[in-house]
Amino acid sequence: MDELALITSAQRGDLDSFNTLILNYQDMVFNTALRILGDDELAADASQEAFISAFRSISTFRGGSFKAWMLRTVTNACYDELRRQKRRPTIQLEPETEDGEEMDSPRWLADPGMTPEQKAEADDLEHAIQHCLDSLPAEFRAVVVMADIQGLDYTEVAQAARVPLGTIKSRLARARLRLRECLQGFWELLPATFRLNEENIA
Amino acid sequence: MKFRDTELLSSYLDGQLSPSESARLESRLSSDANLRSVLNDLREARGVLRQLPARKAPRNFTLTRQMVGLKPPLPRAYPTFRFATALATLLLVVTFAVNALGPSLKYSAAAPAPAYGLGGAPCQACGGGGAAESLNAATEAPTELPAVQAPAATELPPAAQSIVMPTATPALAAADSTRQSETATPKEAPTEAAPLDHFQQTTAPAATLVPAAWQVGLAIVGLLSGLIAFFMYRSAKQKWK
Repeated sequence: MDELALITSAQRGDLDSFNTLILNYQDMVFNTALRILGDDELAADASQEAFISAFRSISTFRGGSFKAWMLRTVTNACYDELRRQKRRPTIQLEPETEDGEEMDSPRWLADPGMTPEQKAEADDLEHAIQHCLDSLPAEFRAVVVMADIQGLDYTEVAQAARVPLGTIKSRLARARLRLRECLQGFWELLPATFRLNEENIA
Repeated sequence: MKFRDTELLSSYLDGQLSPSESARLESRLSSDANLRSVLNDLREARGVLRQLPARKAPRNFTLTRQMVGLKPPLPRAYPTFRFATALATLLLVVTFAVNALGPSLKYSAAAPAPAYGLGGAPCQACGGGGAAESLNAATEAPTELPAVQAPAATELPPAAQSIVMPTATPALAAADSTRQSETATPKEAPTEAAPLDHFQQTTAPAATLVPAAWQVGLAIVGLLSGLIAFFMYRSAKQKWK
């Protein structure tokens, strides 16, 4: 069954069709939530919320890119979560692993003001990138995640973020510049494959 | 460098510029090292993000019917039976309420009657007041005296009689000319009391305003339609599962 048929069927209330759509999109939705929220559990919760909300409002989908529509739903769920965190801020003083041991290089230590020793502890490149993403305002983060991580084109990002195309261009440029500045601090952590040059990117 | 240039470079990187805009920017890039450096920065940032490892979802996010609050598709007749149950139950409660409140309603409806039948005997509780009113009437208009005498002669309590009689008797003595009308009043008194008696005879046996048969009927209708609705829902739910 193709995607359009599944969407039409889901719009008539067929949950099985919608679950097929979920299986196709759950990795993308989870990754988007993970990069916006920076936490696995919160991202999983936001993804679940997004799918529930998407099923309830699928009748409002009027065609176009379903991927963009789905990303808009998960972005909204992430914004809700971020607002909740703002209302009830929680500071993790002693981050622990699942075994109850203290984490060696917690992500929250990686800030621009930390010492070279501390920087060396931030041994995970993914954590370093996530740290830089977390430093962006939520709207910028969502745009850069959708465009550069999920590979949506500008029109789809504008549709998902519900902002004009010009705003997307502006946000994306600012976000990339800020990320580049932030990543300067972690540049020595980047493996050779990440040390990009103009040849292999262009 | 202006931010507008950074924006142009970012869009150029994604191939979002028109051919003419791209050509113009490329000519500037060939001569401006600063512009090339910014383009390189933007490209590096985008490249790092693009090479972020994609994670697999930690679990399946498929939905259950409970999660989205879906209810089983019910037969078309289900709402009718549910409405019938609710209506029958409501009416049954109303009939009980009407029957329970009936006597007090009847009392309040009958309350003005003593004023109508003051001259009549049956209202013993208000007999004194009636006698007193009649007393005033008697002093002002002796012609009404026979109407006062009628209750006193029948069932007025002794106290009332003691109030009525002394004043009534001089008035009676003074009004010899009214003897003829006095003889006529015993005939009139029963005719005035007659409507009240008739009212009491017709209302007294009606203790329950809604017949019991109606209540039984409503109870049966409510019970049956409720049972049908319940079994409809249960079978629809089982089929749905």
